[in-house]
Amino acid sequence: MIKITINGKNYKVKEGLTILEASKQVGIEIPHFCYHPALESEGSCRMCLVEIKGVPKLQLACSTPIKDGMEIETENERVIEARKAVLEFLLAGHPLDCPICDKAGECKLQDYYYKFGLFEDRFEEEKPKRDKLFRIAPNLIYDQERCILCTRCVRFLREITKTGELGVLNRGKESLISIYEQELIENNYSGNLADICPVGAITDIDFRFKIRTWFLERKKSICPICSRGCNINIHFLSPSFPFKVEKRVFRITPEPNVKINGYWICNLGRYNYHYIDNDRILHPLKRNGELKQISWEEFYEDIGNKIKILIRRKKEEKIGVIVNLSLTNEEYETLEIFFNKCIPGTEIITFGKKSGKEDNFLLTEDRNANRKGAGKYRFKEKKIDILKFLNKKELVIFFGHEITEHCNIQLLSEALKDIKTKVLIASNKGPLINLVDYILPSTVIAEKEGSFTNSQGITQKFYRVLEPLGESRPEIEILTSLAQKSGIWRNFLMTRRAG
Amino acid sequence: MIKSLVFLLEFLKGLWITAKHFWINIFFNFLKLIGFNIRDRGSVTIQYPEEKKEIARRHRSLHRILTREDGSPRCVACMLCMTVCPSECIYIEAEEDPNPEIQKRPSKFIIDLSRCCFCGFCVEACPEDALRMDTNIVELGEYNREKLIYDLNRLVRISK
Repeated sequence: MIKITINGKNYKVKEGLTILEASKQVGIEIPHFCYHPALESEGSCRMCLVEIKGVPKLQLACSTPIKDGMEIETENERVIEARKAVLEFLLAGHPLDCPICDKAGECKLQDYYYKFGLFEDRFEEEKPKRDKLFRIAPNLIYDQERCILCTRCVRFLREITKTGELGVLNRGKESLISIYEQELIENNYSGNLADICPVGAITDIDFRFKIRTWFLERKKSICPICSRGCNINIHFLSPSFPFKVEKRVFRITPEPNVKINGYWICNLGRYNYHYIDNDRILHPLKRNGELKQISWEEFYEDIGNKIKILIRRKKEEKIGVIVNLSLTNEEYETLEIFFNKCIPGTEIITFGKKSGKEDNFLLTEDRNANRKGAGKYRFKEKKIDILKFLNKKELVIFFGHEITEHCNIQLLSEALKDIKTKVLIASNKGPLINLVDYILPSTVIAEKEGSFTNSQGITQKFYRVLEPLGESRPEIEILTSLAQKSGIWRNFLMTRRAG
Repeated sequence: MIKSLVFLLEFLKGLWITAKHFWINIFFNFLKLIGFNIRDRGSVTIQYPEEKKEIARRHRSLHRILTREDGSPRCVACMLCMTVCPSECIYIEAEEDPNPEIQKRPSKFIIDLSRCCFCGFCVEACPEDALRMDTNIVELGEYNREKLIYDLNRLVRISK
């Protein structure tokens, strides 16, 4: 620990930090564009200039390490004057097209201008015209006019993904960021470039012109696409938005968590959010010749009675449950209490999504959000003959459509023909919809509360971000209400309390 | 007794005011009738709808969307009017413009006049001077609410 003085106040901070990091730790913000906590500092934007006692010139806070007894001024007249000058330089070539820029509202250049700039434009020259629609990746557009050459994107691709597709070309006022000839950025982390760009130079095509940022609200959640459990921010249209829009979620950005995902998320997690609003099952449905909407109470009554009768007839083995690997830990616990402890003899099998490719950084092979958590409650994926399992069952409850990835649908539908009652609990429409009698809407991850255990074994809690769509309910609520109607309520409560 | 005298006095005062205006109006309107050009005096009643009041130069009337030289609306769908609108009557959806100089254009632009309070904030907020309230159209009555919802085409057409 060493002693430093910032703005006349004494602080003790760890050794080896830079001035910017040290002052951030004690709660003093120094404005910056090119500095990013995960990247090597470059010192190209000159926005973080501070005054150090004994040093004649202003110094860069992002790359000057602290020394014992250093006296730093971050808010005095000289520093603020220098910031103003830096901003004036940066804005000299900036097109000021904030009205059509997607970054407006969360743009650092905009914020700092209002905080430190507020000068009159002194340039009479025409602003330079450059390419505003330069494709650098299939999902990104680079605007050469807006770029302030902080090189965050260049450093990200060199240091984090280690692919180095971008570079700075030319010199002086002609310099710009570009790709090598026509080779687009094809790595799985390119979406992060739009996030780390402090201005609107790199914009995401998926989010481009969809909505202005100030209409969006953001809340933390966990990405359910793979077993890494990256922390994400879901940006959704706030409920107070006065117009009816079908889409609720507009984009997903990473939430920094050094232990798991650092400051990044992969493109797969970033762009796979449409399932939250599209193709959702909205109401409980029952097939009686054709699908008809029923109420939740009717469903609980129907299935509860069936379970009750099967228990009375001592035919528990005729109940089959097929669990997926994307439920929360709490739901697995409830499932275990419900079927393993209260109705011993029921047969449960587990099927997860098929594994995909891993990319040696964040994306894992396992595409199920909570395999570790399910394993804790003994829900483990095993190789089982599904047809044999379905043989002579009377009641089958499916959680999710995952089973169809593991067997032929035609064989499955034939095997399901003989079964009296087939129940599907899923959030989205899928191949199983045509094969079952009861279809029940469950909530997606963003609409429920619970915890996931990721592939590293870290259990993370997450909270409800959106209101459930339609009549959908979380699985834990469905199971608890079903337990009430199926004659095992007292047993269920006792086991839950004991557990 | 004194009370009722006061009432009588006020009553006569009122009669006097009414009578004064009556005779003055009769006098000046008679002069107008026989050809004298008197602008300000005389009866102030405007015979609406045959006669219409002159609208002040800065009066805020029905919105219109201005167009560029090639006829496309000037709006770039920045949604600032939608943001500033206190009665939440403007709704915009944006799309990509094929011209890279323009980039953004509205695919949907709706002003719900049944909610509009004619404050003029949208006009002030517009960075492109695309929206103005200078059409001098003030008779906006309709027989159903749907007709009060003005879309982009309708708002552009007004300016022609």
